[in-house]
Amino acid sequence: MTIEVSDIRFSYTRPVLRGVSFKVGSGELFAVLGPNGSGKSTLIKIIVGMLKPESGCALIDGRNPASMSRRDIARVIGYVAQESAVLFPITAMELVLQGRFAQGGLIGFESDRDISEAEWAMRVTETTEFAATPVNELSGGERQRVMLARALAVRPRVLVLDEPVANLDISHQVKVLDLVRRLTSESEMSAIVVTHELNLAADFATSALLLKSGEMIAVGKPQDVMTESLLRSVFETDLVVDENPASGSPRVTLIRRKSEISDLRM
Amino acid sequence: MSVKELTHQIFSRERLTAQRLAITLAVLAMVLIAASVFSIAVGSEHVGFTNVIRVIGAEITGHAADVSAEQRIIIADIRLPRVLMAIVVGAALAVAGSAYQALLRNPLADPGILGISSGAALGAISATIFAESLPISRPVAAFGGAVITIAVVYAVGQGRRESGTVRLILGGVIINALLSSIVIFLVTSVAGARQRNVISWLIGDLSGESRLLLPVAVFVLIGIGAVYVNARSLNLMMIGEQDALTLGVEARRVKIAVYLAASLLTGAAVAVSGAIGFVGLIIPHAVRLVGGSDNRLVVPASALVGGIFLMLADTIARTAVAPRELNIGVITSLIGAPVFVYLLRRTN
Repeated sequence: MTIEVSDIRFSYTRPVLRGVSFKVGSGELFAVLGPNGSGKSTLIKIIVGMLKPESGCALIDGRNPASMSRRDIARVIGYVAQESAVLFPITAMELVLQGRFAQGGLIGFESDRDISEAEWAMRVTETTEFAATPVNELSGGERQRVMLARALAVRPRVLVLDEPVANLDISHQVKVLDLVRRLTSESEMSAIVVTHELNLAADFATSALLLKSGEMIAVGKPQDVMTESLLRSVFETDLVVDENPASGSPRVTLIRRKSEISDLRM
Repeated sequence: MSVKELTHQIFSRERLTAQRLAITLAVLAMVLIAASVFSIAVGSEHVGFTNVIRVIGAEITGHAADVSAEQRIIIADIRLPRVLMAIVVGAALAVAGSAYQALLRNPLADPGILGISSGAALGAISATIFAESLPISRPVAAFGGAVITIAVVYAVGQGRRESGTVRLILGGVIINALLSSIVIFLVTSVAGARQRNVISWLIGDLSGESRLLLPVAVFVLIGIGAVYVNARSLNLMMIGEQDALTLGVEARRVKIAVYLAASLLTGAAVAVSGAIGFVGLIIPHAVRLVGGSDNRLVVPASALVGGIFLMLADTIARTAVAPRELNIGVITSLIGAPVFVYLLRRTN
């Protein structure tokens, strides 16, 4: 499934997105990179139809989410937000089954198909063991994987993830991104992933977008986007980009430098 | 299906199944019936359990019961309507509580704590003073008061980013204080003997108003039904409105429908029994503790458990210091306030 974003502009009190355009093809894993406050989450919320852009549009297979019903969007897009606090003792299984909401009736119970989709999603995210555990008792990283399972239980054609690996240990960071990569390459699913993990993005993404203050700095293959000069200027940090000896993709190494704030005394 | 598979399905805590729902509700319904018979039998004048069953059987089938006229009047005309009213009011308050908790994503929400009962009370008391000749005007005005109050509390409790527990409850406390003072002002303007009745009603009282039983029962059934058809959507809203939206819930429509339904329930309960506190808080919480958080279970089970609870509380109110009566609101507060403190400490 393709996503076509053309010249999106959006502002709260200050402009957040100033004309962003890109295209994500079927089977691609598209990474959205940029510093805090660069407009990444806003961009994603526009794609999933939660915010309306001031101008421009995001089309999913040629259809504008603004003109689709919530149910129609939910059958196509699987979305995991940056953070969700859960106050009620709902079990992980019940949470994952929520991903099947748009497939069933408004009342009644989940079908056998719904159950098997949920079980599959929990198996691939390694969360089966939490099935009967209340979600509010899980750790941050465990809950994040359960949230991913819920999005996968939708059987989405577009998977949209806002910082999916932020709370995960290194082993699960790799496992989660590898899972998303395999799902995109083995099916028609495409994925849009916001992340601060530049090295993981370089390894797993098929293409990437670099944002700064709502401005599109670069879009294209990771090796073209993640160059030393671009990353230095976008993140305003000293760093070196060379080649990852294992994968051949760009590798980012941070360099410590003297802080601009030299005096820490009050 | 083997017995083992069946028991696994019923007692599985992974998710709610249709079997677990059906069995839970059937057990609760039986407890409700047994508790009703018990509640009708005890009182200043004791009547036998068998007489209770005979008279109620006779009322249903239309035959004459082989029971003395005096006992028949106590059972059918005095205690049965009161027990039914307690069930209706308890069910209404408990379901209203579960609905507000899911909508506001806050396990501590309750019509009393949020000030919604006070809003309903203000509506009801205004109707009592200004439109006394129309008994139905009271539940309607109470409903109006509840709707306006929830809108105000929601606006006050809504933070710029997210609505925190403390902020929302604080908003409710403030609105509650304001409305209570207006209610007290109105009460003081009522003359003489009527004033005592109004005050008693305000604290929470099930002794009067049996003529409103039927219309209120209809309101409550409509309200519970309207919450129940949204139960699956509420499961998603409970986690987050934005999440629910992206999973296909028409969040705005659900919110409006459930707010109106919960206000209808609160209004109906307050109109006949005053501001009985804490039922909406304790009952859904107890149900979730035992049966899990799926609203397809929490909503109907809260209705039944709320009915059982309030009926038993009212039995205590009638009998504890007989021949005088305690206000039922006093009893629910004595039980509810410590539970609330315990829950508040546990959530933080």
